Amino acid sequence: MKCKICSRPVKEKGYCSLHLKAYQNIYGKFVVWEKALGVTWMDYLIKISKNSLSGEWAKEVAKHLIEGESRNDKEK
Amino acid sequence: MRKYTLIIAEKPDTANRIATALDDKSSPRRETDNGVPFFVAKHESKELVIASALGHLYTVSGVKKREWDYPIFDYQWTPRWIAEKKASKTRAWIKVLSKLAENATEFVDACDYDIEGSIIGYSILKYACNSKETVAKRMKYSTLTKEELKESFNKLLSHLDFELVEAGLARHEVDWLYGINLSRALTLAVKNNNSTYAMLSTGRVQGPILKYIEIREKNIQVFVPTPFWSITAKIRIDEHIFDLEYEKKAIETKTEANNIAAACKVRKGKIDKINVKEFQQKPPVPFDLGTLQREAYKLFKYTPIQTSKIAQHLYVNALISYPRTSSQKLPPTVGYRVILKKLSNAAVYQKLAQSLLAKDTLKPNEGPKFDPAHPSIYPTGNMPEKALDTAEKNIYDLIVRRFLAVFGEPALKQSIKVSVDINQNQFFMTGYRTLKECWIEYYKPYIHSENISLPLLFEDQKVAVQKVTLKDNFTKPPSRYNPQSLLRKMEKEQIGTKATRAMAIQTLYTRKYLEGEQNMVITGLGFEVAGVLKNYCPSVVSSEMTRKLEGKMEQIQLKQDTKQNVLADTIKDLKIVTSSLKHNQSEIGMQLGQKIKQLQLDKRTIGNCPKCQIGKLVIIRSKKTGKRFIGCTNFFENACNTSFPLPQIGTIKPLVSPCKSCGYPVIKVLIKSKHPWRLCLNPNCSDKEQKI
Repeated sequence: MKCKICSRPVKEKGYCSLHLKAYQNIYGKFVVWEKALGVTWMDYLIKISKNSLSGEWAKEVAKHLIEGESRNDKEK
Repeated sequence: MRKYTLIIAEKPDTANRIATALDDKSSPRRETDNGVPFFVAKHESKELVIASALGHLYTVSGVKKREWDYPIFDYQWTPRWIAEKKASKTRAWIKVLSKLAENATEFVDACDYDIEGSIIGYSILKYACNSKETVAKRMKYSTLTKEELKESFNKLLSHLDFELVEAGLARHEVDWLYGINLSRALTLAVKNNNSTYAMLSTGRVQGPILKYIEIREKNIQVFVPTPFWSITAKIRIDEHIFDLEYEKKAIETKTEANNIAAACKVRKGKIDKINVKEFQQKPPVPFDLGTLQREAYKLFKYTPIQTSKIAQHLYVNALISYPRTSSQKLPPTVGYRVILKKLSNAAVYQKLAQSLLAKDTLKPNEGPKFDPAHPSIYPTGNMPEKALDTAEKNIYDLIVRRFLAVFGEPALKQSIKVSVDINQNQFFMTGYRTLKECWIEYYKPYIHSENISLPLLFEDQKVAVQKVTLKDNFTKPPSRYNPQSLLRKMEKEQIGTKATRAMAIQTLYTRKYLEGEQNMVITGLGFEVAGVLKNYCPSVVSSEMTRKLEGKMEQIQLKQDTKQNVLADTIKDLKIVTSSLKHNQSEIGMQLGQKIKQLQLDKRTIGNCPKCQIGKLVIIRSKKTGKRFIGCTNFFENACNTSFPLPQIGTIKPLVSPCKSCGYPVIKVLIKSKHPWRLCLNPNCSDKEQKI
């Protein structure tokens, strides 16, 4: 199985070890953002995907999650 | 037949210095044999022949020239010209040394007194001079000044430092075993599993460095910033404006930050408390190679390897002491006053040197590091015989001023911390003053006294609040390594030696695992190599393993372990590592192969195809005609037949910007001894060719 984002082998949750770490960081930092700005999950993902200080892999996962959320919304 | 003492130096320049110092008339005779220079000197009625090596003349190589495979554990010391194509020049050197050894009655090893120097001298005496290593004497010196060289020759050590030699031989043999086996494993994995070839390499020191950079890069790429807020204020005191910082540097929520900022929008504040502290700042410690390299990078942006080369040049010219030292000690035997007197002859250092000479006692502020072979780096006091270039001047001046500064008194400084209350919110401002410069004066311009002056203030004094600013911030990812921080990390982790660290970093650039000088970025290939090593042989990239080996090497030097034991352990460890690499060869080959193919394609890629807009234009060599041309990658999908002719000689390099006239990709053509020219790929372009 290949990672949802790159061609590396999957480690967990459909991500390779590198994108998995980015995914874990994104989840972990949401609490801080929520407390600081009162943002929603979607707003948070958009903000970090556009932030120049975010790492490239973190941006890739954020964008992937945004696409996933949008797809889910459409299906609903 | 004339008889003489044969002195072996490490390099021709050093041989010349030694010969000049030892010749009674300071004018030795220079002779050459087969293009190899040597010097004949008369020293107190004795004839001396001073010849030199050209760095290492012997090296470790495999015993049998069998199939290119691994693991390989049989090795021997052989002349470098046999093992390395590029070392053909050393053949004549060995021949001349052997010839000179035939008529010599005494032998003196005068190579640098360190591990590398000891091996150079030992191997020449053993292999080129017919096993004279057991009877040879040893010159030990830290500067190439006439006085020290003479004294060193008059007080020759009765034998070579065999412990140092043993430790050095072990280091070379261990490094060769790691290097050859790991490099072959990576190269063969790629070759056997892809129809491509690329020379890959790694080693005992390169592995851990690559891992540090890889870990840092990963942390940068997975980084998610978090928001925080900071508040600053400006107050006016006696028509002067001062900056204040809110007591909490980072406020975690926007609501809290807004509330504080709103509460501070008042006209007056009050000085709550004034805290004045006086403290001493000690002079710096003398330079060891690592601190010199870091300081030179900080001040002049010279890479560690550049600094190392410049320092070596200054040493060979007898301007500074031996630079490859890890010592931060400056013993009185170096002759503080003699050096200061010599330095005071130079107008630029006169005043500073004389002020130190006026002191009753001179006591340097030494650091904790000690090197049994050499003291820290210091100037000899000699003035340059030839003009130095800018870089040499900078490093020389830095070393001289550092030497002067270490004898200075501690500087006296004062810090003032003022606490200001703005509507029950605490802000701070800080001032610094240097009360007595002392050592700082000697180390200028490489340090400056940072002064932030504050006016006369008193507690309960009212101040006018001019402005309160709320700033949105985000946490920052970790910084990439630069030569200074990477060297510090290697020293902290005890990876490599002072002499090899800079070279190990350079090798990572040569292998295309790293790019960017100031901010070191790991390349895609470097990333994959680090990943492979970490997955399949984690011990190779572990700091622990290489630190342990360094420790064992030190134990050999202290006679607490033997070379045989260390090598037996190395081979045992390598058998496990190579077996794991062989077992996983196909996975490793696939992982690395993809990246290498990508790199090879990137190297040949000129730009986007202007016709199909999807494919890439790449340089292709026709299998039929052998000629090169540019074609679209979509040709193989039968989707685009765009092609352009290319000049058949010279090197082709793509230029970043497209043609200004037509927008087509542009290449640079480099032909030896001709002016480079730019070439637009569009045959109908009005600006097709142009000299650059």
